[in-house]
Amino acid sequence: MAGPVTTPAAQARPVSARHFVRLKLRVMGNNFRGQGWRVALFLVGSLLGLWFAVGAFFGLAAPGLIGNDRYALMIAAFAGGLMVLGWLVLPLVFFGVDETLDPARFALLPLPRRTLVIGLFAAALVSVPTVAVLLALSGLVVTAGVFGGWSAALVAAVGVVCGLLLCVAGARALTSAFASMLRSRRVRDLAAVLLAVVAALLGPLQIAGVAAIQDTDWDRLTGLATVIGWTPLGAPWTAGIDVAQGRAWAAPLKLLITIATIVALLAWWSRSLESAMTGVASSGPNRAKPEVTGAVVAQLFPRAAGWLRRDRFGALVAREARYWWRDARRRANLITVAVVGLFVPVMVNFGGQGFSFDSTEGFTPAGSSSPVLASLSMVFVGLLAAVTLANQFGFDGSAYAANVVAGVPGRLELRARITAFSLYILPMLAVVAVVIALVLGEPTWIGLMAGALVATYGVGLAVNSFVSVLGAYSLPETSNPFAMNSGAGVVKGLLTLLAMAATAALAVPMVVAAALLDDVWLWLGLPLGLAYGVGAALLGVHLAGDVLDRRQPELLALVTPRR
Amino acid sequence: MTGEHPALALRGLAKSFDGKVAVNGVNLDVPAGSFYGLLGPNGAGKTTTLSMAVGLLRPDAGGAWVLGHDVWADPVTAKQLLGVMPDGVRLFDRLTGAELLAYHGLLRGMEPDVVDQRAAELLDVLALADAGRTLVVDYSAGMKKKIGLACALLHGPRLLVLDEPFEAVDPVSAALIRDILQRYVTGGGTVVFSSHVMEVVQRLCTHVAILAEGIIKRVGTLEQVRGDRSLEEVFVEVVGGRTATGEELAWLAQ
Ligand SMILES: Nc1ncnc2c1ncn2[C@@H]1O[C@H](COP(=O)(O)OP(=O)(O)OP(=O)(O)O)[C@@H](O)[C@H]1O
Ligand SMILES: [Mg+2]
Repeated sequence: MAGPVTTPAAQARPVSARHFVRLKLRVMGNNFRGQGWRVALFLVGSLLGLWFAVGAFFGLAAPGLIGNDRYALMIAAFAGGLMVLGWLVLPLVFFGVDETLDPARFALLPLPRRTLVIGLFAAALVSVPTVAVLLALSGLVVTAGVFGGWSAALVAAVGVVCGLLLCVAGARALTSAFASMLRSRRVRDLAAVLLAVVAALLGPLQIAGVAAIQDTDWDRLTGLATVIGWTPLGAPWTAGIDVAQGRAWAAPLKLLITIATIVALLAWWSRSLESAMTGVASSGPNRAKPEVTGAVVAQLFPRAAGWLRRDRFGALVAREARYWWRDARRRANLITVAVVGLFVPVMVNFGGQGFSFDSTEGFTPAGSSSPVLASLSMVFVGLLAAVTLANQFGFDGSAYAANVVAGVPGRLELRARITAFSLYILPMLAVVAVVIALVLGEPTWIGLMAGALVATYGVGLAVNSFVSVLGAYSLPETSNPFAMNSGAGVVKGLLTLLAMAATAALAVPMVVAAALLDDVWLWLGLPLGLAYGVGAALLGVHLAGDVLDRRQPELLALVTPRR
Repeated sequence: MTGEHPALALRGLAKSFDGKVAVNGVNLDVPAGSFYGLLGPNGAGKTTTLSMAVGLLRPDAGGAWVLGHDVWADPVTAKQLLGVMPDGVRLFDRLTGAELLAYHGLLRGMEPDVVDQRAAELLDVLALADAGRTLVVDYSAGMKKKIGLACALLHGPRLLVLDEPFEAVDPVSAALIRDILQRYVTGGGTVVFSSHVMEVVQRLCTHVAILAEGIIKRVGTLEQVRGDRSLEEVFVEVVGGRTATGEELAWLAQ
C-alpha cells in the first residue's frame, strides 16, 4: 500500500540560519574558483577594509586611550550615527547590496517567512564590511572599559553588536523596499521622492559636522549628542558610555530601542521580500499605449532621439536611450544622480561657512560660498554622473552578444552609449549648474560652474570608458536593481573609487583655474571647460574603442552572469 | 569564388573552462547549401562549439572560417555573412518585438525602408504581430525563440547558425520554422543548427554530426551516419546511454 503523501515533510529536518550562512560561504567560495584576479581583488579590498577599520578603531578608542571622557559620548553618538546613515544611504547611492543569496531562489522552498528572513539576515552578516565595521566599532568598547570597567565594556560590546545588526537590517530593508517600489510602476515616482528624503538626511549631519569644527561651544554639541543617543541612530553606540558615566539606567532602555528597531526593520524587510520573491525581473514601465501601427524603425526611436539618422549609430543610441528608462537598474542610477547631484552641491556650498547649527542670524545664503568651493561641488556632480557608466556593459548582461555578433566597432559602440546617456544627463547637469548658481545668489558663476561640471563629466566619460571595457563585471539577474554579486561588491567598490579618483585628478585644473584666475575665469570657464571635457571624452572613446575591438568576446564573458 | 569554400569550416577548435575540457579539437566542414544538424547529449559542447564558430567565445586553439573568411582574424566580413541565434543568451528584451527587429536591422547596416518591410513581414509570418507593445522580456519562451530567429534572418545572411531553434516552440510554430528554414536553404542559404530532437533532424538535415564529450564522433551526410538504422539508435549507441532499471528511484512511487 502506498504510504501517506506527507511522509517526506515529516522527515524534513528544520532549516536554521546556520544553513544559510554555510550556503553563502559556499557560493562565495565557488565564485572565486579558478578566478585568480577575483581572489586578488577580494584580498586587496579586505586589506583596505581592515586598514580603515584599524584606523577607525583607534579613533573611537581615543577618549579611552587618552583618558579624557569629555568627548566620549559625542564621539560615540556622532560616529555611530554616521555609520548607521552610511549603511542606509551608501548601498542606494553607490555600492548596492550583496545579494549572493537571491531571495527569489528560495521562492519554491517550503520555508516559513520568518526562517527565510532570519536566514538571509544571518547570511548578510557574513561579509567583509560587517567584519571591518565590527572591528572599527569595538574601539567604543575600549573607551567604555577604560572609564567604567568590565560592566561598561560588556554593555558597550552588546551595544556594538546590536548596532551592527541594526545597520545590516536597515540596509537590507531599505534597498529591498526601494527595489519593490521601483518594480511597481505606479509608485515609481514616490521612490524618487523617498530617495531624495534619504539623501536630505545627509544635510543635518553635514551641518552638525561643520558646526562641530567651527563652534567652540561644545556643550551645545554634547546636548545634540545626547539627543542622538536616544534615537536608533545613536542608541546602540552610547549605551556603554552611559554605564561608564554613571547613567546605568539608560543602557537597558537604549538596548531596547535598538532591538525594537531591528525587529521593526526585519518585519519591514520581510514584507518587501514577498514581492522580491514573486516579482519577475522588472520589465519597467509598460503602460498600455495606443497601438502603434507606424513603421518598425520609427518605433525604435524615442521622440527625444528622433533627430538621429536611421543608421547603426542611431539604432545604438535609440536602444540605449530606451534602456536607460525601461531598465529598473539603470533608472535607479539616473534617479540617484539627479537627487544626489542636486543635494550635495547645496550642502557643500551652504555648509561652507557662516551657516552653523541653530545659527540665530537665519538663512543667509549669499556670499557663503566661493568659486573654488562651487567648482569643487560641480566636480563632484560631474564625477558622480560619469561613474554611472563604469559598468555600462554589465547592465546589458549577455544581451551584449547581439552587438558582438553584429560586429559593432568599439568606437561607435562607446560613442553611441555616451550620447544616449548624455541625452538624460546633460539637461540634468545644466539644471544643477543653473539652480545652484541662482540659489547661491551668484548668477555670474554659472559659466565657471558649468565649465567645471562639463569638464569633469567629459574626463569622467573618458576614464569610465576604459573602466567599463576593462573592468566590467556581471550583475545578478534579479529584480532588485541594487543587488550585487559577492566578490563583485568589493570589486565594484574598488573600481568605482579608482575611476572617481582618476576623474577627480584630471578635473583638478578646473578648480585650480577657479582659484587663481578670478574674474577672467568667469568668462573663460565655460568655453575652456567645454573644450577640455569634449576633447577628453573624444580621446578617451578613441583609445578605449580600440581596446574594445580587441576584447569583445572577453567582455561578453565578463558580463554574462553565471547561472 | 566563395563557391569553392565551405559555408563554415572549423579547424581544431578547442576550449576548456577552468581546466575542464569542453571542446577538444573539433574539425567540421559545412558545405554551402547544406542543412547541417549538430547532435549531442547535454554538456557535449554544442553551444561552446557554435559560440566559437560565430565569434562569441574566443577558442583556446583552432579557428573558424565563414565562406573562407576567418571569423577571428577578419571578423567584420565574416560576421556580415552570418546570422546567429545563440542559446542561453538574452535578447535586448526591454524592447518590443518590432523595436528589437529595427535595432538588429539597422545594426547590420540595412536601409530603414528595407528593415520596415522585412520586419513587418517576419512579425506577421511568425505570428508575433499580435504581441504589439509587449516587451520581449514578457514574451513566452517559444515567442522569444521566434523573435530571436527573426533577428537572425532579418539581414539575409548567407549562413545561419542556430542553437536549439526548436526548443520550447509549439508544434505549429515548429512546422512554420521548418518551412522557413527549408525555403532559406532552397534559396541557396546554409543552416547549421544544434538539436536534441532526432525526428526533426532526420526530417530536415542533409548532413549530421554527432558531438560527445567535446569530440566529433560521427560525421557525414544523413544517410552515411544513419546507415539502415534510425538516427536515434545510432545516437544512443555513440553516446552510450543508460536506461533506468526500475531499481533506483523507487521512492518516486507513492
Ligand atoms: N562559461 C562556462 N564556464 C564553465 N564551464 C562551462 C561554461 N560553458 C560551458 N561549460 C561547460 O562546458 C561543457 C559543454 O557545455 P555546452 O553548453 O557547450 O553543452 P551543450 O552541448 O550545449 O549542452 P546542452 O545540450 O545542454 O545545451 C559543459 O560541461 C559545461 O559545464
Ligand atoms: Mg547548449
